[in-house]
Amino acid sequence: MRGDQLRGHLDALVLAVLAAGPAHGYSVIVRLRERSRGGFDLPEGTIYPALHRLEAAGLLSARFDEVQGRRRKVYALTTAGQRELAEQRSQWHRFSSLVTTVIGAPA
Amino acid sequence: MRMPDEHGYVDDPIERYLDQLLVTLPGSPRQVRHTLAEVETHLLDATAQARTDGLDEFAARAAAVQRMGPVAGVADHPGLGLRLTRALRRRLVLAVLLIGGMGGVAVGIGGVIGWVVRALWGDNAVATPFPSGSYTAADCTRWLAGYPSARDCVTAMTADHANDFLQNAAGCGVLGVLGLGLYLWLRRRWSGAAVATALPRGSDDIVGAALAVVTAVVLLGQGVDAVVVTHANGAGAPFSLAVAALLAAAFFGRQAVRGLRRPIAASG
Repeated sequence: MRGDQLRGHLDALVLAVLAAGPAHGYSVIVRLRERSRGGFDLPEGTIYPALHRLEAAGLLSARFDEVQGRRRKVYALTTAGQRELAEQRSQWHRFSSLVTTVIGAPA
Repeated sequence: MRMPDEHGYVDDPIERYLDQLLVTLPGSPRQVRHTLAEVETHLLDATAQARTDGLDEFAARAAAVQRMGPVAGVADHPGLGLRLTRALRRRLVLAVLLIGGMGGVAVGIGGVIGWVVRALWGDNAVATPFPSGSYTAADCTRWLAGYPSARDCVTAMTADHANDFLQNAAGCGVLGVLGLGLYLWLRRRWSGAAVATALPRGSDDIVGAALAVVTAVVLLGQGVDAVVVTHANGAGAPFSLAVAALLAAAFFGRQAVRGLRRPIAASG
């Protein structure tokens, strides 16, 4: 799936990936790829505007840590981010259920 | 191909990418530094992964950059190319100085060629007199005062016009040299500011070559017109400048080709 098809869902995907635990940018991309079994093939650089946007909105916290010999900015879900993720999950289930109902119905 | 440039350096895909990112990222200096650090670490991680997958160092670094996607995607600013960042402003100043300086020097060279033409074939070869009736007796008196050995007003006027052309060309040449000097000074002063990546590689050379070619064509047209209409009177001036414009076009063309052929290669 291309990056432009993910536009609009990327923030929720990033929140979902970070629900598994704090991670730096590259790790977020790797988790996204693994959890989608390679289905999400977006330009890796596009993850950073999303991370920064979520950090600015208070949904993520970030700090620089020394990980594997390199100074990395590690992101973690805040309480507000956890609430937002729960809301996004609920909206997505409702939305995808309705889309499946319409698209999956016989003509 | 990974050939070193004339200075013996090779260009690294990751370094080049970070340079481009530096001059396009919006935000405060701290935000820019943090994003650069994040992206650099990301690229090094991706390179290490690609190395594990069996790629050599250069291919791994290039693959990491390719996976990262366009710089505009990281900066999340679709109209980024139109933002006049400090680096872009500096690069534009350098481009104007280079093209303007070379243009001035080319006009100066045209003056030197014109000087040779005048020495060989006289004032009429580089200048034409005003049409009769378009100047006054006072003008004639002034021209004859400047050229007392001239046999008549038209001869003095032509010599005056030829001198004007040569003096103006020399003035342009001096300004061109000053412009190029300023260009070299500023280029050295800004060498660490990533200005070289603020515009696509070779863009100022291509603009310079295009301007020089257009100028040469126009001047050649004026020269041919002078040959046909005025029986070569004054044709030396446009032809001299056309030769200089072609030299400038050759210089910029060579620079552009060299710049575009220079590979983006890894150091590893």
